[in-house]
Amino acid sequence: MLEFDFSPLVESWRFLALGLSVTLGLAAAVIVSASLLGVLVGVGRVYGPRWLRVLLTFYVDSMRAVPVLVVLVWTFFAFPLAVGITLPPLIAAFVALTFHVGSYVSEIVRGGIESVRTGQMRAALALGMTTGQAIRQVVLPQAAIRMLPPYATIVTMTIKETAVSAVIAVPEFMRSSEVVSSQSLRPLEVYTVALVVYFLLMFPVARGVDRIYRRLAHLGRS
Amino acid sequence: MTDPVNAARVGADRPPVIVYEDVVKRYGGFVALNGVSAQVHQGEVVCLIGPSGSGKSTLLRCTNALEPIEGGRIVFEGGTLPTPALAAPVRRRMGMVFQNFELFPHKTALENVAIGPRTVLGTDKAVAEEKARALLAKVGLGDKAASYPSELSGGQQQRVAIARALAMEPEVMLFDEPTSALDPETVGEVLNVMKRLAEEGMTMIVVTHEMTFARRVGNWVVVFDKGRVVEEGVPRQVFEAPREQRTRDFFSHLAWNG
Amino acid sequence: MTYDWSVLWQYRGAFLSGVGTTILLSVLTMAIALPGGVLIMLLRRSQVAPVAFLGTAYVEFFRNVPAILLVYWTFYVLPIVAAVDIPPFTTGLLALALSVTAYNAEAFRAGVSSIRQGQWNAGLALGMTRSQTFLKIILPQAVSRVVPAIANNWVSLFKNTSLVSVIAVGDLAYNAMQVRSQTYRILEVLTALAVIYWALGFPQAKFVDWLQKRYGVKE
Repeated sequence: MLEFDFSPLVESWRFLALGLSVTLGLAAAVIVSASLLGVLVGVGRVYGPRWLRVLLTFYVDSMRAVPVLVVLVWTFFAFPLAVGITLPPLIAAFVALTFHVGSYVSEIVRGGIESVRTGQMRAALALGMTTGQAIRQVVLPQAAIRMLPPYATIVTMTIKETAVSAVIAVPEFMRSSEVVSSQSLRPLEVYTVALVVYFLLMFPVARGVDRIYRRLAHLGRS
Repeated sequence: MTDPVNAARVGADRPPVIVYEDVVKRYGGFVALNGVSAQVHQGEVVCLIGPSGSGKSTLLRCTNALEPIEGGRIVFEGGTLPTPALAAPVRRRMGMVFQNFELFPHKTALENVAIGPRTVLGTDKAVAEEKARALLAKVGLGDKAASYPSELSGGQQQRVAIARALAMEPEVMLFDEPTSALDPETVGEVLNVMKRLAEEGMTMIVVTHEMTFARRVGNWVVVFDKGRVVEEGVPRQVFEAPREQRTRDFFSHLAWNG
Repeated sequence: MTYDWSVLWQYRGAFLSGVGTTILLSVLTMAIALPGGVLIMLLRRSQVAPVAFLGTAYVEFFRNVPAILLVYWTFYVLPIVAAVDIPPFTTGLLALALSVTAYNAEAFRAGVSSIRQGQWNAGLALGMTRSQTFLKIILPQAVSRVVPAIANNWVSLFKNTSLVSVIAVGDLAYNAMQVRSQTYRILEVLTALAVIYWALGFPQAKFVDWLQKRYGVKE
């Protein structure tokens, strides 16, 4: 007969809450920086010169080919050796996840741009806009709205990937759950609760983004 | 002049705004424009007609330097058109209206009309919007300033698109089949706006399948077929006494297709 | 800093066996998750509301939790619940299968629901039964949507197998970490790890692109 004991969770709630806040902070920081990187890479892949497009495609496809765990581990253990610095785990995770998630963002940006009709670019140019103005004022705002539904995936993906950063001892929620689990020897309770917490964190994201999108969809439909 | 068929071209004594000299445009192996020469004078309404794929719309896009040409040249106000990459300064002096409107869906009607002056000329927001309001009123949409394109009918969208082009105070307006994508009942409202524009003396190049418009509003008609100019003349001559067999063929097809 | 790349050759056996485990784990997981995905999709299409809800709940839950946590969860929890020892490879396999099944079910659902209602009506109007219409009309059309999505899930799965390294399953990532701690040639070993994954994963990613282009998938 199974017996449940949730008291270790109650006793360690501050520690777990701290881990959760690291998860949220890291995920938020990664989403912001990966979005910036992703927009630059995505725009570069559509409008850049040939050599840049080849280079960026190589970066994106490489990130799609290598597990995030390997990117994290390499950034934390190997990269500092190569350049002779030390990286705290949190910084290493931030950098590694930015590059990993950024490549996925760039794919969504590229898809969004390419789905905007060429006539929109023509109409902007016909008004006398420069290509840069046309991209910023006309193409990207529409692409941004079309990018919303896949962006929900980016948000949940980022939260999931922060959990992998436990392997380089970033003190986020996965890691704190591990610690509480091994100290209390109640893995069943701790990990089950952790699953539920992650689910409650991620599930509303998709629903929320969906609701926002339905209200804005017409602004992106040219 | 008593014989309307042989009437003189109204703009002949005015300076040319656009001159096409032996323009050649290719897409890969396909020759879209095969040596087109023509002139558009100030204040003229020049209608380009002809079968689909005959090169009319291509010529219009080349006129706005949206696409490069492979041979010949296009002269706008005395200067040869630059390549597309350098064409922004020239494009802001021309207005263009597209078959599919191409309004910016994330902007209201007012913002669509104001975006050109705001972005390209750096006009102050209040000034640009005041002017945009006046232009919307002019095309009969003064009450739709706050509407998004998705909330407007096709005819209304196209009228906003005309106002958007006018906001740049262009020296010439290019219309690329402006009524082809419209429901029949909204075609009239767009043609009326265009007619009023013509009466105000705007120089216009109109690619159209609306033969009544070409006939009543146009001053000069250019007939295209297979990337070449088949014939050109005043509307009554072209429609009532076409000189070329291919022009007659084109009209007889139209009759069949309504 | 001096580099010593010879350790890679010296420990080639560990790398090779790691690659073998990674591939085996991917194949077995997909072998479970393909029928599993069909099953969950059928649950979701059920006319009985609670059954359909169960299917949807399964998909939403497992797509919205981190796979690494599932790996831990099955590793610690399964032996407790089952009250027998279960090898890490099996618990890792189960964790991945639970997750990929959810993604596959979603791919199947999206593929089937992308076919217009008119196609159903046309089939039924010819006198076909619902299951005939499904098998002869809907399914063949859905394939072109489903195949690229499943291929995409495969690539994700192949990478996610690296997560079982945290429970000491001897996959490529785990073996590389072991070699690293035995030799202290951290940079060489971890770079080799990344390069091997890249060499295996890059062609797969390109293949998915090719499939999507071939089947005309627009994202």
